[in-house]
Amino acid sequence: MYNLKKEEATYWIALAHLPRWGHLKINNLIIKFYHENKISIEEFFQLDENEWKNQYQLDEKQVVDLQQAKSELASNAFLAESFFSQGFEIIPITSPEYSKTLKGNLKTAHAPAVLYVKGKKELLEEKSIAIVGSRDASETALRFTDNIAKLAGKEFKVVVSGFAKGVDKQALDSAINYKGQSVIVLPQGIMTFGSGFQNYYKQIIDGDVLVLSTFFPKAPWKAELAMARNPIIYGLADEIYVAESAEKGGTWSGVVDGLRKGRKIYVRKPESDEKNANNILIQKGALPVDFNGIELHENFSATNTDHTSIDPEATDNESLDTIIRASLNERPLSAKELLVKLNFSWSTQKLNSYLKQLDFVEVVKEKNINLYKLKGATETTQTTLFV
Amino acid sequence: MTREEAEAILQRTFELPKFYDEQWLTIDKILKGEKVLLIEKTGFGKSLCFQFPATVFNGVTVIFSPLIALMRDQVKKLKALGIAAECINSEQTSEENTQIINDAKQGKIKILYIAPERQENSEWIEATRQMNLSMVVVDEAHCISVWGHDFRPAFKRIINLVKLLPKGLPVLATTATATKRVELDLAQQIGDNIVTVRGNLMRDNFKLFVVKVSSEDEKLIWVGKNVNSLPGSGILYTGTRIDTEIYSKWFENLKISSVAYSAGLDADSRIDIENGLMANKWKCIISTNALGMGIDKPDIRFIIHTQIPQSPIHYYQEIGRAGRDGQPCYLILFYNPKDRKLPEAFIEGGRPSITKYEKVITTIKSELLGERDLMKRTNLKQNQIRVIKADLIEQGIIREVIIGRSKMYEFIPNSQLLNTKAFEELRNAKLSDLESMIAYVETDGSRMKFLCDYLGDNSNHTFTNCDNTGEKKISVNVTPEWTEKLQNFREEYFPKLEVESKDSRIVNGVAASYYGFSNVGAALHRSKYEQGGDFPDFLLKLVLKAFRKNFGQEKFDLVVYVPPTSSGDLVKNFAVKVSQVLEFPISHNLTKSRVTKEQKVFENRFLKSDNVSGAFTFTTPNDINGKSILLIDDIFDSGATMKEIGRMLTNFGAIKIAPIVIARTVGGDIV
Repeated sequence: MYNLKKEEATYWIALAHLPRWGHLKINNLIIKFYHENKISIEEFFQLDENEWKNQYQLDEKQVVDLQQAKSELASNAFLAESFFSQGFEIIPITSPEYSKTLKGNLKTAHAPAVLYVKGKKELLEEKSIAIVGSRDASETALRFTDNIAKLAGKEFKVVVSGFAKGVDKQALDSAINYKGQSVIVLPQGIMTFGSGFQNYYKQIIDGDVLVLSTFFPKAPWKAELAMARNPIIYGLADEIYVAESAEKGGTWSGVVDGLRKGRKIYVRKPESDEKNANNILIQKGALPVDFNGIELHENFSATNTDHTSIDPEATDNESLDTIIRASLNERPLSAKELLVKLNFSWSTQKLNSYLKQLDFVEVVKEKNINLYKLKGATETTQTTLFV
Repeated sequence: MTREEAEAILQRTFELPKFYDEQWLTIDKILKGEKVLLIEKTGFGKSLCFQFPATVFNGVTVIFSPLIALMRDQVKKLKALGIAAECINSEQTSEENTQIINDAKQGKIKILYIAPERQENSEWIEATRQMNLSMVVVDEAHCISVWGHDFRPAFKRIINLVKLLPKGLPVLATTATATKRVELDLAQQIGDNIVTVRGNLMRDNFKLFVVKVSSEDEKLIWVGKNVNSLPGSGILYTGTRIDTEIYSKWFENLKISSVAYSAGLDADSRIDIENGLMANKWKCIISTNALGMGIDKPDIRFIIHTQIPQSPIHYYQEIGRAGRDGQPCYLILFYNPKDRKLPEAFIEGGRPSITKYEKVITTIKSELLGERDLMKRTNLKQNQIRVIKADLIEQGIIREVIIGRSKMYEFIPNSQLLNTKAFEELRNAKLSDLESMIAYVETDGSRMKFLCDYLGDNSNHTFTNCDNTGEKKISVNVTPEWTEKLQNFREEYFPKLEVESKDSRIVNGVAASYYGFSNVGAALHRSKYEQGGDFPDFLLKLVLKAFRKNFGQEKFDLVVYVPPTSSGDLVKNFAVKVSQVLEFPISHNLTKSRVTKEQKVFENRFLKSDNVSGAFTFTTPNDINGKSILLIDDIFDSGATMKEIGRMLTNFGAIKIAPIVIARTVGGDIV
């Protein structure tokens, strides 16, 4: 366990944004050099190409990417100096300051390698809730949001929101209004949030607001980033409340993604005359709640299990593999255990044969049971990074 | 690369035969990717220690330098050798800077000079991401240390940048003036096993003189009499901008070829003067020491100080510019025991009071503000705000952030309380430096050895190059002829009021005197604040004389005067007398359209300007249309009132507005 040495910032920036690597590859590399080989990121970058290839099983393209990243370290220093001098901070995934909630929810496959923040970092350690919903939410949804934020404040829970119009903005404003605390998850690089820092200046210096981004610090707002930010919001929260969702768009795909990852998601039970997709999400496995966020049990338990099961045939192979990979992150599992965890509508046998053809999975025998684990991964490394 | 190989390249690229040993020692380390602190005297050839490696490296070398003149000069020389060098600075247009940045991104530039402040510019930060960087150089590295003679807050950030650079990227920090304390401070701040290379700082071509005098007149007379008999061309340093102006007018009066150079000049004028200096266009350049003249001119033959600097290191730095060609040069320092007051005032008054610091902290705690709004909220002078800001940033209490395109200041949560002990310590160190400066004046030993010892350069060399060790002492001989010349000059000399601007027909005017000089200020004060009655007649005579000197026989259509805030009819009565003597009609119709406060309660130009903005009107605008107007007031301070009235009268159709006042204050916003 260690806190970030500022000198390492440029290396983390270079590693976190390796083009088209994805979180999994980057995190696996971090696990290898940091937890298995116990060297610092600086030392890792000082290794020569052969060591990268041999000790880390990196392919030609990856080595080229790393070389490119290495050549940009000096340039990154100029950015990093400007970044630090303006009070931004960088929290790598190896730091004890990194949100444990986020790590626990997103795991190796989806957890970003670094968090860029400004404000009171300790907010990441508090109990948290996310309130999400449409940009053009109804009056009812906004009142629900306000009420949930108010309740969160009373229970000293931090409200996580995404700084979009509608529900996001309401969640933030209400949290502030009720003297609660908030984490703003940006759909852009943190250094491009200029006037936002001006508007929330008081709250930030008083320690009531933390601004967080996982994107390159200078990245401008983009629709893709707004989409990519949603899992971070869900990941940072212990509880997720959906005020209102349409049948497509950011909230919808965010909730569906969350359900697929096995998250408990609370959806406001809409009035019968409301035109939104809240009920459909409830049918898909989200839990209905009333105006005060209290779970409504009647009639839903039966349909719940039916609908949360995922039809693997309807999902493309790549995302299927990602889900499997994430599920095998913590420890080796039998096909049966995996099936429960994944909630797939497959037979154990079908899953067995599917797993056997995957190149990143290997079988280990334990008391005559076939357990599946990620190739090359050992249990101990996994638990070190993702307790 | 071996020394032989390197010297072969040196001959081809730089047309130089070989390296000095200490140069090669440094270059060899740089080529191996080490970090080096290089302390060598002016003229040693420090620049080659980074310019040479820069031409050998693949990518671009970035050089942080505080001196625009020096950057321009070095770029010119490198270009003449066919080396791709450029500088980015605030005096070039943003299009020029953008073009250079683009060239650097495309790898077309080997050596790029920039000011440390550029690190605050987001276009630059964006651009660096696409540059292939080979080396970072910090020129004038003593600016990093508060114990040096020229601490600059922007250099603090450069240290942070250097610390973030990857291992193996060479860094060179250079300076010609570092005491042992500064050297250790620099090495410790840069850290990371930096190697120090220190040469000897002795300059045996210097001829050092101290001239003790008991009045300002003696200084003026000696330089007036003797400057033309000194060899070649040189520099005369004064303690204040006002003195720069006075010496420059005095030389003008004596027809001595000279030019005044100050921080107040625009970029074009400064470039003209720098070029003129290189071409020996004038016998003498007159300048304040506030301005770092980083000019690489080999043959500056003399440097005269009319005011003692704050410390021997300031002095060594300033005279270091002379005789870079190794030929003899004359360094003459005047000292009147009263002169210690100015550096003392700088040291004592350099720091605003603690309550002002607290005021700034409280204000920033409640609001994110830019400098201008901060000045308005706190009613503090710009230079005070800047000192306070720099200290608070240094102590980690506030930080500078960029919001959009503007710089703002934010409070750092959980930061320490203001540490006033640090100020005390610094103040005491500076007072002790000043005592050493006076000890230099008083010493009867070798002056060169005194300076070398002070800089931590212990030499056993026997020096014979000062007025204590063989050179003839200089004394001042005041003759009646010269006393009269000086008297005549004083009576003919009137300060200028610079108020011209594009949106107004106001022209630069004239004051009869500076406020603090002679008996003018006292007379004004008696009338204004001690019920001393109308302004005395000698002020009228003086103002009329200033008018004739500045405007000759020019006729004005109308005399108007600035309506008072609280001092009754003094200015009105005075203006009536002026109009009677000059036989221009007077109008009493310039009035206030709203109540204003006395300008003197406002500490900065923004508040002064707000105070008078839209505050004046003319009740009979037809009287103004197409007229030329003489505008009278008693005291000219920031000029905000004159400018405001100028704009208003311009709007009413005046064709010319000429301001004339009894006294101009010294200081205003800028010291």
